[in-house]
Amino acid sequence: MIKKKKLQEASIPTSSMADIAFLLLLFFLVATVIDVDTGLGLTLPEYVPPEEREEIKVDPQRLVAVLVNEQGDVLIDGEIVSIFQIKNLIKPKLLARVEMPLSKKIIVSLKTDRKTIYNQYIAALDQIKLAFFEARDEVSQSRFGKRFKDLTTEQQEQMKDAVPIIISLAEPEEIK
Amino acid sequence: MHFQKRRAGTKQEIPTSSMPDIVFMLLLFFMVTTTLREVDVLVQFKLPEAQAIEKIENKRLISYLWVGKDKRIQINDSIVKLEEVEPIMYGKRQVLPNVIVSLRVDQGVDMGLVMDIQQALRKAYCLRVNYSATLKI
Repeated sequence: MIKKKKLQEASIPTSSMADIAFLLLLFFLVATVIDVDTGLGLTLPEYVPPEEREEIKVDPQRLVAVLVNEQGDVLIDGEIVSIFQIKNLIKPKLLARVEMPLSKKIIVSLKTDRKTIYNQYIAALDQIKLAFFEARDEVSQSRFGKRFKDLTTEQQEQMKDAVPIIISLAEPEEIK
Repeated sequence: MHFQKRRAGTKQEIPTSSMPDIVFMLLLFFMVTTTLREVDVLVQFKLPEAQAIEKIENKRLISYLWVGKDKRIQINDSIVKLEEVEPIMYGKRQVLPNVIVSLRVDQGVDMGLVMDIQQALRKAYCLRVNYSATLKI
């Protein structure tokens, strides 16, 4: 008599599969970088060759000219102030023109010297943006009783119409 | 009186046989979302600080441009000259029409260089820029 060999059940042990998968998962969890780039957004004006440039007269009442020199001194409408005063100088002007049409809104023009330190330029731009954001917050607080970021998209659009962010970078001078 | 304890007839174990599947699903999700392509930054820079910063939601639109302490400009993986910024960025814009250029500029650089880069970007029609900054606390 030949004994029938008992066939061993062939199977891959799967109990450690979960562990292996967890290890891989951990690796990807650690390796994933979900860092969001933060910063000050701005849209540059379109480039127009010098010979095609046209002078457009802007109502001087609308324009707030911010000039930053190489020492970090700021000149707003002919007055020397420090960088940290920019916000408080611009905000009341924005709030005064909330009800006016788009063609009458404030334009902030930022101009720097070629030797100005980048940090100071960013600080000035930051102040200007803060002024716009705080003005928006105040208007939405009085209209809807909420802060700007808590509004619905529709209301936000309405706010953006009330306080549009118009920042103009002055054309750099040709002479170096 | 004697109460007989009622026991549920079902098993009381949690079935673990599908655990690997669940874990693999998670794994696949992370594998797909991970972007391992990190550019080597060849320049040294320290970002300025600001308060009114915004987040850029769409990371795929961002194209980085670094300017280091020593005023070297880096795009992608290489150091470029100022004159090369315009053609490179123009090429990028043709691939991605609404590209956002994130300027990671060292805080000590003077504005002359930044202005020149901005002029190059304007000529290349890359008009959306983002001055990268960290949150001031």
